[in-house]
Amino acid sequence: MKKLITLTVNDTEYEVAVAPNRTLTQVLREDLNLLGTKEGCGVGDCGACTVVLDGKPVNSCLVLAVQADGSRIKTIEGVAHGDSLHPVQETFVELGAIQCGFCTPGMILSATSLLEKNPHPTEQEVRQALSGNLCRCTGYQKIVEAVQEASRRMKG
Amino acid sequence: MLLLPKFDYEEPKSLPEALAMLSELKGNGKVIAGGTDLLVNMKKGTVRPACLVSLKKVEALREISGEDGGLSVGSHVTISEIADSDRVASTFPVLARSASCLGSPLIRNRATIGGNIVTARPAADLPPALLVLGARVELRGKDKDRTVSLDGFFTGPGTSVIETREVLTRIVIPSPPPFTGADYIKLGHRAALEIAIVAVSSRLTLDKPDGVIVDARVILSSVAPTAIHAVSAEKALMGQRPSEDLFAKAALLAVGDSSPITDIRGGAEYRRDMVNTLVKRTLLKAFNDARDMKGGNA
Amino acid sequence: MKAYNVINTRLPRVDARAKATGDARYTADLSMPNMLYGAMLQSPLAHAKILNIDVTAAKKLPGVRDVVTWKEAGLVKYGVSPARYDEQVFCSDKVRYVGDEIAAVAAVDLETAMEAVSLIKVDYEELPVLLDIESAMAEGAIAIHEDFPGNVSAEVHQEFGNFEEALKECDIVRTDRFTNKRQDGGFLEPQACLAQYDLNGNLTLWSSTQSVHYVQRSIAMVLGLPVGKVRVVKPYVGGGFGPKAAVNAMEIAACLMSKRTGRPVKMLFSREQVFLHSRARHQFFHEFTTGVKKDGTIMALHNTCYLDGGAYSSFGIATIYYAGSLLGAPYRLPNMKYDGYRIYTNKPTCGAQRGHGGVAARAGWEQQLDTIAAELNMDPVEFRLKNMMKTGDVTCNDFNMSSLGMQECLEGVRDGSNWAAKKGKLPRGKGIGVACGFFVSGAGYPIYRSETFHSTATIRLTEDGGGVNLYTASAEIGQGSDTILGQIAAEALGVSLDDVMVHSGDTDFGVDLGAYSSRQTLMSGHAVKMAAEDTKRQVLEALSEQLGVTVGDMDIAGGVVIFKKGKPDFSRLRTLYIKEHRGWEDQPSGAELTFREAARVAFITRGVIIGNGAYKPGELGGKYKGAAVGTSPAYGCSAQVVEVTVDEQTGKVTIDAMTDAHDCGFAINRTNVEGQMQGSLSMGLGEALFEEVRFDAKGRVANASLGEYRIPTALDMPNVKTVIIESDEPNGPFGAKEVGEGAIMPTIPAILNAIYDAVGVRINELPVTSERLFAAMKEKQKK
Ligand SMILES: Cc1cc2nc3c(=O)[nH]c(=O)nc-3n(C[C@H](O)[C@H](O)[C@H](O)COP(=O)(O)OP(=O)(O)OC[C@H]3O[C@@H](n4cnc5c(N)ncnc54)[C@H](O)[C@@H]3O)c2cc1C
Ligand code: FES
Ligand code: FES
Repeated sequence: MKKLITLTVNDTEYEVAVAPNRTLTQVLREDLNLLGTKEGCGVGDCGACTVVLDGKPVNSCLVLAVQADGSRIKTIEGVAHGDSLHPVQETFVELGAIQCGFCTPGMILSATSLLEKNPHPTEQEVRQALSGNLCRCTGYQKIVEAVQEASRRMKG
Repeated sequence: MLLLPKFDYEEPKSLPEALAMLSELKGNGKVIAGGTDLLVNMKKGTVRPACLVSLKKVEALREISGEDGGLSVGSHVTISEIADSDRVASTFPVLARSASCLGSPLIRNRATIGGNIVTARPAADLPPALLVLGARVELRGKDKDRTVSLDGFFTGPGTSVIETREVLTRIVIPSPPPFTGADYIKLGHRAALEIAIVAVSSRLTLDKPDGVIVDARVILSSVAPTAIHAVSAEKALMGQRPSEDLFAKAALLAVGDSSPITDIRGGAEYRRDMVNTLVKRTLLKAFNDARDMKGGNA
Repeated sequence: MKAYNVINTRLPRVDARAKATGDARYTADLSMPNMLYGAMLQSPLAHAKILNIDVTAAKKLPGVRDVVTWKEAGLVKYGVSPARYDEQVFCSDKVRYVGDEIAAVAAVDLETAMEAVSLIKVDYEELPVLLDIESAMAEGAIAIHEDFPGNVSAEVHQEFGNFEEALKECDIVRTDRFTNKRQDGGFLEPQACLAQYDLNGNLTLWSSTQSVHYVQRSIAMVLGLPVGKVRVVKPYVGGGFGPKAAVNAMEIAACLMSKRTGRPVKMLFSREQVFLHSRARHQFFHEFTTGVKKDGTIMALHNTCYLDGGAYSSFGIATIYYAGSLLGAPYRLPNMKYDGYRIYTNKPTCGAQRGHGGVAARAGWEQQLDTIAAELNMDPVEFRLKNMMKTGDVTCNDFNMSSLGMQECLEGVRDGSNWAAKKGKLPRGKGIGVACGFFVSGAGYPIYRSETFHSTATIRLTEDGGGVNLYTASAEIGQGSDTILGQIAAEALGVSLDDVMVHSGDTDFGVDLGAYSSRQTLMSGHAVKMAAEDTKRQVLEALSEQLGVTVGDMDIAGGVVIFKKGKPDFSRLRTLYIKEHRGWEDQPSGAELTFREAARVAFITRGVIIGNGAYKPGELGGKYKGAAVGTSPAYGCSAQVVEVTVDEQTGKVTIDAMTDAHDCGFAINRTNVEGQMQGSLSMGLGEALFEEVRFDAKGRVANASLGEYRIPTALDMPNVKTVIIESDEPNGPFGAKEVGEGAIMPTIPAILNAIYDAVGVRINELPVTSERLFAAMKEKQKK
């Protein structure tokens, strides 16, 4: 039986009727057409599906959409303000933190969440915060540098 | 792409309502907490509950509070709340440490302490620390409530004394005696997203800073069907004056207490050797903390 | 060095904004009205005869639109090398590994398709399962492929110089063995595809692939369609690293079912299916016998290698050659003998992966060379410098080192890591190690025998002169080729990168063999440069007619026309342009004639300006059998120094620091070069310490997840000090050559050598898990 749920995604409220067995990843992608959230494994191992759920980055492939009823969700589509990129997006672009880009939405959401909690993280703290987001392309270095540079820019 | 099988989903507003529901479902219902264990198993098809009962709306299960110098932790407190809690860090740092070893930050934001206990995985990260701390768990059913010591909770890999109609509501950790220190070390391949090859938690209580050991607890994880006490090691430590030699002796005894198997994460022989290494290391750290502390902290 | 405007910079990637905002579309993000979802039935058994396939129940399930088996797909054999076409879309006679494809279903949704798959009944007769080389080669072992009794899928014997004779001159002769483990690509995006067959009989396939060209040809061949009726498009791809370089059965099944139903069909791999499909790095069993003179001169190598190939050939025929030929450089090695055997086993098929064929060989041999250096009492860096090839050297197997900054690389990492202060001076448990490597910069020949161009490129200027559209079938898979090719086009044409719109990864845009063997920068780069030069010539010719200035006296750079011999009066052209764009705000102004104005003139006088480029390598060395694998227009090379800490009580290795120098010829984009270096090193680190695909006794993958198959996390990978060496490759566009694969070569042996330096044990089997290292240290202590 489908359930009617309310999700506030990127500050827009949506009412959706969903079957209980659909994950938040599926509903974001298939019902709300927010395709920036990726699925790389479906079982919590990779972090490609990361979204911010009530202020915390989580694996949306392991959240039932019905469990998120009434929650506020931020996806990669909600990180920039219109045309102007978030500082983390800016530094990801400028410093080469993006290669294939499949991990990028999740990385950026983990990174922005970190900076909200801890505006001036050490390199080790950045690596800790990103340790649930796998990246096969970059070796992480430019990602870590981008997060640290964004932290510097956000100071001002 | 992995799909979930079909099931119903309920979100009772109170514990009694939830207990009534579970009772009515007669074993076809399952509690879902963070879902980080359950949903993976359901996607793989190893469990197929007809109905999931979420306790998300039961506020009381989400509290951490102090209790007689000890701690009461609601079953739905997340692992990251435990890892980040000042209260936990100041009373039971070993619990915070073990929480910060679990999975990844993303998993920790969903996974709960109750789920970590009820899954009864032999390699689960919180049980060893909870066992050295002497934790008890509160189990509530529609008609009966009980509190059991975690020591008697696990019965095998994936199994425990909890019944399908029961809910684990909270974990109670007694106040630590003075001059107590503890440690938890998890050995895995990667630095994150790892299930332990071997993990050990130890706790020592001294009668005074440079005194003898009056209480010793050594828990071995991933080397037996459940987390176990290294009974002979604990016995050998009791009443003794702490020293590296003593710890080395205890570590060897702990190896004898373990019964590891060879599986995809590691071989039995290596696991035995690691019991040796990790018991020594955790005892040393526990001792240093016990000695340095005015008491109360573990 | 010449000054450039667009290349040799750190310009951000052209796709970075789309990827940072979630706008970039990957194949799984695509959908179409009326689309069906497909799912496949794959064998649960590793080796069995198929007695019967019953699809009745599946067909009857409401919502099912098509069910196909070999009966519908036919028995056409395909694969990678035409000499070993041993694959079929669906098994007909037997299954050869757990995961072998048997049937596919298209239905109105994925749930239904998967349910239908579970309703297909297959009767099997189980056959003996051959899971390793020994059992597959044993006397009387059943043949996995009837045509290959003994299960040898390929065999190579080569000798350059005279190994036996050369040994007589050697003072030290050592034999060592080495084995890696079967690896997985570990790319984050599982394969996905969407096929659409339209009413006019045109088939379009969107797929997560590294080569639209090879996929197009394979699909046309298998489905019996003209190549011209098949279009393959590659949306953004979430990493490939080799396994996505060949067509897969899912792609063909989707096309087949779309053709049969007339509806678009979308199919996706789960992560488990990625492991089952595999086509990733083989397990190699090497034995090296190396002879060296007292003075440290390397004289001879005999390399024997057995490859566990899995059930089919895929890229394996190239792999077996690479496992020998890639030891021909970067050291002068006058005598090299190679015996290779690729063996069929009942496991998923292995193929190409970053550093194709050469990674295990390099790891094992560089470790042996380190041992030899120690026996000679020579510093490992000095030993390598002594034997190093130089630009212009030709290897014994006829590879021409047309540029080789090997010495600069070695000196770069030696100085960058402060080697002299550390080697032999670190406390116990800490170690430092060095290794070198080299790699092709594009396979010299296509995978099928052909005179085809390897890359074509077309540039079309927009009629207003403002836009430069670059069309190429090359594959942006994350490595950055769209950016590199855009930069090359911009530089060669004289405009800025912002003016160039890169359209890539579509067979409608030309021919390009794709992203494998590190070929896009050099080969597609050449084609793009030619197309840009062709475009520029046409614009200047048109301008010449108008201004009466000879073409040779003009150039375009920085977006304006350069008049080498004084500026003519071009006010007429400017007035014309301004008149034509009344109402626009952004009119050309200033003292220079802009590219925009010039291109507009060209359009008005000649019609659409289209520039073309096409590249294939010139004459390459090697006349012997197998010379086609390894010969390349250019070779990249690299050196690395790694520093480790070993916890002697647990065996746990921590990589503390890495210094990497790579000769990429010329860095078109410095940020991208560093990114490839760092990414290669992290993959090498994973293979060295963690990665291993494992099987249970029945041939099922035991760790088909990214939880139990461990690629490094952000906490496992240290920062890399990167040193870019530019040797100016004469055969590369602007002097550029590869970096994407060669950079992985030295990583594993540098780690192994550092571990030896730390604790004095040599590990000859990967991965160096804490358990393996602990056992080795324990063993050593017993002795
Ligand atoms: C990628 C990944 C990495 C992981 N890494 C680790 C790790 O390093 N260490 C580790 O220990 N675990 C790890 N896990 C396992 C899992 O995350 C933990 O065990 C977690 O604590 C489970 O909690 P949960 O709230 O998600 O449980 P759920 O999945 O919601 O539930 C698990 C089980 O417990 C039952 N249950 C839950 N709460 C209650 C309750 N209050 N009363 C009665 N029954 C209940 C459920 O019915 C279910 O059977 C990992 C999982 C993933 C996906
Ligand atoms: S898709 Fe959710 S963690 Fe991989
Ligand atoms: S950029 Fe490809 S996985 Fe991170």
